[in-house]
Amino acid sequence: MSPMKLCVPGDKLCSVEDCTPGTGVYLRHGYIYSSLAGYVLKKNEGEELPVISVVRETETQLLPDVGAIVTCKVTSINPRFAKVHILYVGSTPLKDRFRGTIRKEDVRATEKDKVEMYKCFRPGDIVLAKVISLGDVQSNYLLTTAENELGVVVAHSEAGAQMVPNSWCEMQCPLTHGKEFRKVARVQPEYLHA
Amino acid sequence: MPVDTRRVRGPEVSQSPLLFACKPAAVFSSHGPRADGRQRDQVDVRPVFVRCGLVSQAKGSAYMEAGDTKLMCCVYGPRETERKDDTDMKCGRLTTDMRFAPFSCPERGSWIQGSQDKDFSLMLHESLQPALCLHKYPRSQIEVNVMVLENSGSVLAHAVTCASLALADAGIEMYDLVLGCAIRQDGASYVVDPTYAEENGNGSDSSDNQGRLTLAFLPSLNQVSGLQSDGEMTEESLSAGVRTCIEGCYKIYPVIQQALAKAVRRAAPPPSES
Amino acid sequence: MATVQVSEAEKVYILHGIRDDLRVDGRGCEDYRHMEIETDVVSNTDGSAKVSLGHTAVLVGIKAEIGKPRPMAPNEGYLEFFVDCSANATPEFEGRGGEELGKELSNTLYKVFNNKHSVDLKKLCISKGEHCWVLYVDVLLLQCDGNLYDAMSVAIKAALFSTKIPKVHISNDEEGGKEIELSDDPFDCMRLDVENVPCIVTLCKVGHRHVVDATLQEKACSVASLIISVTHKGTVTCVRKMGGGSLDPESIFEMTETGKRVGKALHVPLMKLLQQEESLGTRQKVGFLG
Repeated sequence: MSPMKLCVPGDKLCSVEDCTPGTGVYLRHGYIYSSLAGYVLKKNEGEELPVISVVRETETQLLPDVGAIVTCKVTSINPRFAKVHILYVGSTPLKDRFRGTIRKEDVRATEKDKVEMYKCFRPGDIVLAKVISLGDVQSNYLLTTAENELGVVVAHSEAGAQMVPNSWCEMQCPLTHGKEFRKVARVQPEYLHA
Repeated sequence: MPVDTRRVRGPEVSQSPLLFACKPAAVFSSHGPRADGRQRDQVDVRPVFVRCGLVSQAKGSAYMEAGDTKLMCCVYGPRETERKDDTDMKCGRLTTDMRFAPFSCPERGSWIQGSQDKDFSLMLHESLQPALCLHKYPRSQIEVNVMVLENSGSVLAHAVTCASLALADAGIEMYDLVLGCAIRQDGASYVVDPTYAEENGNGSDSSDNQGRLTLAFLPSLNQVSGLQSDGEMTEESLSAGVRTCIEGCYKIYPVIQQALAKAVRRAAPPPSES
Repeated sequence: MATVQVSEAEKVYILHGIRDDLRVDGRGCEDYRHMEIETDVVSNTDGSAKVSLGHTAVLVGIKAEIGKPRPMAPNEGYLEFFVDCSANATPEFEGRGGEELGKELSNTLYKVFNNKHSVDLKKLCISKGEHCWVLYVDVLLLQCDGNLYDAMSVAIKAALFSTKIPKVHISNDEEGGKEIELSDDPFDCMRLDVENVPCIVTLCKVGHRHVVDATLQEKACSVASLIISVTHKGTVTCVRKMGGGSLDPESIFEMTETGKRVGKALHVPLMKLLQQEESLGTRQKVGFLG
């Protein structure tokens, strides 16, 4: 196989009739141009036109986008919302810190009015959440945990041990056997690493 | 504060002794070959040396040398914006900062950013912004920092080239690379990519049609993203200067392309086709 | 910069109009708005002028002070520019809001006057290496309605025209030192030759065409503009691309050509007007409400 073609931003790759644009490229006047410095990758998918994209090994930084599943750490809570730092988008770690907010009404899907933030999150918890909005001028990214698969995945008890989930709203400390309330996520089996 | 009255106190401001020294006669002669052996009236740019990725902390970085002009650029981000207003919601913000090291020019500069540095930063910003796909980076900012280590003329032009290289190295999506080129018009003749002496020298006695021009160019889109001139030029020499600068940009284009390709190859082997 | 929000429909309307050489206020693509100039409006200055261009209003005051020549040019005086964007013009400039724009404008002015012919700096020298006149050019933006550069440069030219620098004599005293003597006659003044002072023409690229003297609405439709400062002879002293977009080389050539033509045409009536006003002698001042 021929060596992979390299390209720099602004290189004309091909006509839009030959390929469909993927990532790292842009369209201009019916042609596909590269917008990244990287390797040109063509993928054939079925009978449709091959998808052309430009890839770099060092993963181009993703930004949290609407609908993305993010992993975040709770930094502070109050009765109306919890503030978090977004650490991962999907499985890509973020280099820089992005802040997000989980509002009280976005914690769970049912009985929204009965949510008590202190019974759902504590600072230091690792939470899986979904981005619902990029927010406006005043606010940060708005996140939700209103799905069974979303919520707290890692939490530590007052004794400092990592707690084990008991139910969707309760976790237990293996040392003291004390119970604490959390909005627990049902982690999908395929994400569990032994 | 107690003051020693017997001591002779110096003046409050000091000037470099260089200003008062007798200048060598031929600082910048307007005819004959140039001091570094390049041709005048020709698109004779200094050979450039560029390399990406010298600062590991930064998302992307580049170092560039053209003759004695040496500068480096680091790119950070995209990261969360500190200052927020409505425009940030749809597209990202580009911030540029260009500084001169105090020892970069013949006279010592100050660490504090002067108004000239701010002007350079602004020009850099305007030259780079059209090339960036900022709409792909909502709510975030991309920081470009240029540090001039040695100023030997045409600093802004090289800063633009270096910054676009660093941006590409950082994996920021761009429509095109941005290349910079400068000329110094001197009467009927001109020099491309002037050195510090050529840039600031007085030139020929006629003193008409003396000017400096810096241009930033997107080679693949054939667009001019930055243009700045001062001094006095006729409209004809200005247009000719723009054409010359564009030609100068094309001369360094392959060097920049190769440097980028090298950086990509060094960062990772080609991914297996799947 | 003070900006306005323009909806998509408005943009299309303005764009299509300009394509057919017809702008929203009825002007052609190379026409200026109504301009009013008045010199000598502030009594405490050595020269001043107020220019209003449409709803843009600029006041320029020039103060001459005695300073030390710069070591690089011992037999020349120099000009200092300062642009103040006051909160009067738009509330956005409150506090430090206008600082950035002010810096940008004054930096451009330094570039525009960075040549040997605009102002005869040698005339500002009093004694070589020791004393010279420093002209502080202070620009005050009173109202913003687009095209600040052009209004500012016209106002500076008018203010420089009206500048009267008192004549001074150097006399040697007994100890060999030098003394500066101010002339007793307050009308014994030095005038500056402003023939070569350039005017700035801002060209906004809107669609495929470019317009002179864009209003804020038109500016909102343009991606990039080119400012060109032109002398009465058509020499270009400064060119600068402004705004976030890029221009193709061909349109730059077209724009510089238009800029030169418009700029040259601007100088003639301006000089005539200034001389006319001068010849009126003591006239009734119109002031700021005229």
